[in-house]
Amino acid sequence: METETILSVRDLDVKFTLRGQVLHAIRGISLDVHRGESLAIVGESGSGKSVFTKTFMGLLDSNGSVTAGEIRYNGQDLAGYTTDQQWRTIRGREIAMVMQDPMTSLNPLKTIGDQIEEAIVLHQGLKGAEAHAQVLKVLEEVGIDQPERRSKQYPHEFSGGMRQRVVIAIAVACRPKILICDEPTTALDVTIQAQILQLIKDLQKKYDLTTIYITHDLGVVANVADRIAVMYAGDIVEIGTCEEVFYDPKHPYTWALLSSLPQLGVKGEELYSIKGTPPNLFLEVKGDAFAPRNPHALKIDFVERPPYFEVSPTHKARTWLLDPRAPKVEPPEHIKHLREQGVNRHV
Amino acid sequence: MAKYIFKRLLRSLLTLFIIVTIVFSLLRLMPIEGYFQNFEKMSAVQVELGLKELGLDKPLPAQLLDFYSDLLHGDLGVSNKYRRNVPVTKIIAEKVPVSMAIGLTSLGIALAVGLPMGILMARSTRTKHKIGDKLGTAFIVLIQAVPAAVYYLVIQFYGTKYLDLPMQISSGRPVTYILPILSLALGNIAYYAMWLRRYMVDESNKDYVKLARAKGVPASAISRKHVFRNAFVPLVQFIPTSVILTLMGSLYVESLYSIPGMGGLLVNVIQRQDNTVVQGLVLFYAAISILGLLVGDILMAIVDPRITFGKKEGGR
Repeated sequence: METETILSVRDLDVKFTLRGQVLHAIRGISLDVHRGESLAIVGESGSGKSVFTKTFMGLLDSNGSVTAGEIRYNGQDLAGYTTDQQWRTIRGREIAMVMQDPMTSLNPLKTIGDQIEEAIVLHQGLKGAEAHAQVLKVLEEVGIDQPERRSKQYPHEFSGGMRQRVVIAIAVACRPKILICDEPTTALDVTIQAQILQLIKDLQKKYDLTTIYITHDLGVVANVADRIAVMYAGDIVEIGTCEEVFYDPKHPYTWALLSSLPQLGVKGEELYSIKGTPPNLFLEVKGDAFAPRNPHALKIDFVERPPYFEVSPTHKARTWLLDPRAPKVEPPEHIKHLREQGVNRHV
Repeated sequence: MAKYIFKRLLRSLLTLFIIVTIVFSLLRLMPIEGYFQNFEKMSAVQVELGLKELGLDKPLPAQLLDFYSDLLHGDLGVSNKYRRNVPVTKIIAEKVPVSMAIGLTSLGIALAVGLPMGILMARSTRTKHKIGDKLGTAFIVLIQAVPAAVYYLVIQFYGTKYLDLPMQISSGRPVTYILPILSLALGNIAYYAMWLRRYMVDESNKDYVKLARAKGVPASAISRKHVFRNAFVPLVQFIPTSVILTLMGSLYVESLYSIPGMGGLLVNVIQRQDNTVVQGLVLFYAAISILGLLVGDILMAIVDPRITFGKKEGGR
């Protein structure tokens, strides 16, 4: 399949100023997002995955800013956008977002219908009765029964899963090209999670959306993603198709991450966890950020930052282990057999 | 909701009954000397007659019963000292409009100035140097920290000296109202600006505001439709009480500008042991305070859909 790039990020740097100190949150990320794909960005808390996608919509907190690099979308460089007016041509209209916690992301004092209508009026140019009819249609699309009655209700009259459907309805009502789902199921009941993911998948097909999932839940990733980008300490350390990252991971951090899958745990034994803590991004990171926690670290890992080594045209990883001169290090035994162990696309 | 209001009103009546009964009984414990101007010179018979005239010769429960049966006819009795033989209701009816006119004007000004000030301060917290917020905070701290009596005097002093405004109020001349209204408004300006700013800052950090931004809603519309509206809800509860408090007048401002309002009336009649007026005022103040809270709660329920009055539906 011919891939077309819809969004292209080059050497992006994001810094935050906190009490006079500078935190280097995103350290030179480059990424191409393909039209129509589902890309999952995984990483632990604080790895910068949310911050990274927020830069696409100009939603960084006021103490943070893009200090270098570019974000190409539709021939424009979004990294150069500064005003609310410029961003409004992107927000909702081109790129929409589903946020993590549906309990707090709706205005408690406005009816569901009003909140969806706000998006429709802004982005579809409809008004009055037409807009209202569209609200009902969108509600039905996201699987909410009795849309007429429900549209007049307030968020507190909805359950968590239902609210997330409403948040998705709002995002879709904007008719975006790209949908960013920031931990869309984290705050939900396990039984609801699958339904919400299925809903997003259906809408993606129907509206020809490109979706970017941000998550730390590899189960979610396995379920929905075409490609996976693994983030660590403000950088993408490995990126590839879902198959490649799950079954042929190259970066020691990806190994460690996969080893932490509870499905791999042996009854009676403690679950695997990665030793140590992520680097302090207030300080300059030297070499490979993961080196101090990496049992396979080489000397050079502490000195020089590894470049990307291409494994296949779709798969690359930032680790010196892929250098031809590096000693042969095999990934841990248990994750080599993920496929046989039944940890497949339906984890 | 009607059922809830009815229940609240019944409970309010009970509260009023308790307050008035206690105050009424306590007043009867006061020494009888206070009832007469020249008690020392009076004979026992004269005292007896005097008490009878005041209706104080009967046992306490009988007096209470008399009071309540009169009350049901809208009669609070007559003043016996403050303004002899003038009905208490008439005294209140004459004074309330005076206090209210000044109070409501100043409250209107306070809202008209305080709310925009709160909005501007909240917006300013998002700017780099937060100058607007700092200036506003300085003003609020000043008004809250300096005792009202002090800045009332400062206003009167400079107002009369440099702006040549009159010291005494006179009903035909609007200029004479400027200084007292200003004095009364300052406190409320600070109060409303402070709370609105605080609630707006709280609201603007909430997730739904972020979602509204992500939706592409213009910043001005977010501030107006989402943040202000939601931040105003908790304030709605205070406004009826603020309005009703104006009925009580301000002791200090009214005496500074010789305003014939409610302010100081209660203190005055207590000092002179004019029991009927004291009772009447206590009843009046208690009633309007309770009403203020009730109206506040009802307004709150109207603007916040999460509040319901039924026990079964149980709020949020």
